[in-house]
Amino acid sequence: MNSEKLDQLYTYVQERCLWQFGSRTWDRQESIDGVLGTASDLLTGKPPALETPQQKLFYADAKALVADFKAHFPWIADAGPAQIRELIDGLKAKLVDITITNSRNGELNHSLY
Amino acid sequence: MPMVLLECDKDIPERERHIYLKVDGEDTRDFLPISNAPTIPGTLSERGCSFCGAKLVIGGVLKDTIQMIHGPIGCAYDTWHTKRYPTDNGHFNLKYVWSTDMKESHIVFGGEKRLEKSMHEAFDEMPDIKRMIVYTTCPTALIGDDIRAVAKRVMGDRPDVDIFTCECPGFAGVSQSKGHHVLNIGWVNEKVGTVEPEITSKYTINFIGDYNIGGDTQLLQKYWDKLGIQVIAHFTGNANYDDLRGMHRAQLNVVNCARSAGYIANELKKRYGIPRLDIDSWGFNYMAEGIRKVCTFFGIEEKGEALIAEEYAKWKPQLDWYKERLKGTKMAIWTGGPRLWHWTKSVEDDLGVQVVAMSSKFGHQEDFEKVIARGQSGTYYIDDGNELEFFEIIGLVKPDVIFTGPRVGELVKKLHIPYINGHAYHNGPYMGFEGFVNLARDMYNAVHNPLLTLAATDIRGTTAATSLEAAE
Repeated sequence: MNSEKLDQLYTYVQERCLWQFGSRTWDRQESIDGVLGTASDLLTGKPPALETPQQKLFYADAKALVADFKAHFPWIADAGPAQIRELIDGLKAKLVDITITNSRNGELNHSLY
Repeated sequence: MPMVLLECDKDIPERERHIYLKVDGEDTRDFLPISNAPTIPGTLSERGCSFCGAKLVIGGVLKDTIQMIHGPIGCAYDTWHTKRYPTDNGHFNLKYVWSTDMKESHIVFGGEKRLEKSMHEAFDEMPDIKRMIVYTTCPTALIGDDIRAVAKRVMGDRPDVDIFTCECPGFAGVSQSKGHHVLNIGWVNEKVGTVEPEITSKYTINFIGDYNIGGDTQLLQKYWDKLGIQVIAHFTGNANYDDLRGMHRAQLNVVNCARSAGYIANELKKRYGIPRLDIDSWGFNYMAEGIRKVCTFFGIEEKGEALIAEEYAKWKPQLDWYKERLKGTKMAIWTGGPRLWHWTKSVEDDLGVQVVAMSSKFGHQEDFEKVIARGQSGTYYIDDGNELEFFEIIGLVKPDVIFTGPRVGELVKKLHIPYINGHAYHNGPYMGFEGFVNLARDMYNAVHNPLLTLAATDIRGTTAATSLEAAE
């Protein structure tokens, strides 16, 4: 995997996207999986799932993200599906690491909101 | 090293865990300030109380609701009229204040009878008003007055009224944040789902965490109207009590202030399956992104693009005029919590302003994760900052303008540093496209105000030099 490209995407998402900072661990995991999964579909030409309200929201966030990626990182237009999936998987792992696994936020696992 | 012990804190070294200086190569896995924690003895906190968080921030915004404060008169006065959230019905919420005016004898013998009498008096005096929130305060909570039982009796006597009780005395939590929490959860437990709203559009949202400061809600409402989107409930800007009882019918929750109202958005998702979309409503770039996302959710992207184009054509030239003149301005943001992360990149991207220090009164660690991710290296991030720390930080980063509240604002004015009211605004609204031009205008007028230099003139000899130096 091209770590420089991955770092570019990661830095952009960290700075820009509120969906990664849900209140609890499960909110964060759901958003990271949902938005980035849909972004991966959009970038690889697959039709996104739009059956539930939550899927529609993932689509709304992912569509904005993909537009930003294309605007800021022109190289993404030339990336093939395998490379896109690899980058998105790497991005998911990095976001999970900073927002969940190694987050210092002491409220992340409280059972109540 | 990046957690900072300021010189003024040498006798309260615990403060080091609350102040962070971001440096390149670090992130929130390495350092995250302690926050939403009890104020350390020895520090002079700028925080408000938990009752204030419920009443002043959220409940008191409602435009058709009596806010009955069961406690001494000061609890009512100090949470009234300071936040400047107008309404489209003549500012009912700003004109009146209600209190049971508890005195020593009521504390000794109990205040429930007095509360009941006050509630009836208020309804009798205002026969058109049928909704009320009753708040407990520190003394009435300590003596155990049962405000829920009283509210039940009054509702029994008056079948046409509805009353919500908020049992969140000032000491319930470490800051006003607890009051946000208690009101959010209480409302969704007791009131959401008790009114069926009239649905007038295929597209329905709740707009959560916007309190119509300076007219924010009313400005954003123009956008939703143009897009054909029905806002079932604004939580709680310019809102009616019963609007908020119908929140369960929205298709989407759009959240601006995640700190004061993220709780109800989470519960609405959990209980009713309504997804939560967090957006930033301050700033051109952010506002456009928020509109795009809402429109994508409903499949009305063309309408959104048309609205954004129209607003950009109208306001972007004005924003750019200010940007040209504000570029390089150093700004400090000392507000509640979320405005730190909402503003730091929007003023940087849209106005060329550099945010050099940020302090949060009641933010949680989630807020610090967001703001440290967005903010610059070399910037200070402070939890529950105190007065001496503010002065020391000013010396370290030398801001040109400080967005904060009137109390701290008066302090920094003495140093001839201009301040903008970051809570209630100088001349809002500040949200949306037009609003961000207003913010830019207020910042420009503050930073370039010739009075700053003139007011520093002092003919009494050596003191003049100090004042002039501060103004330069």
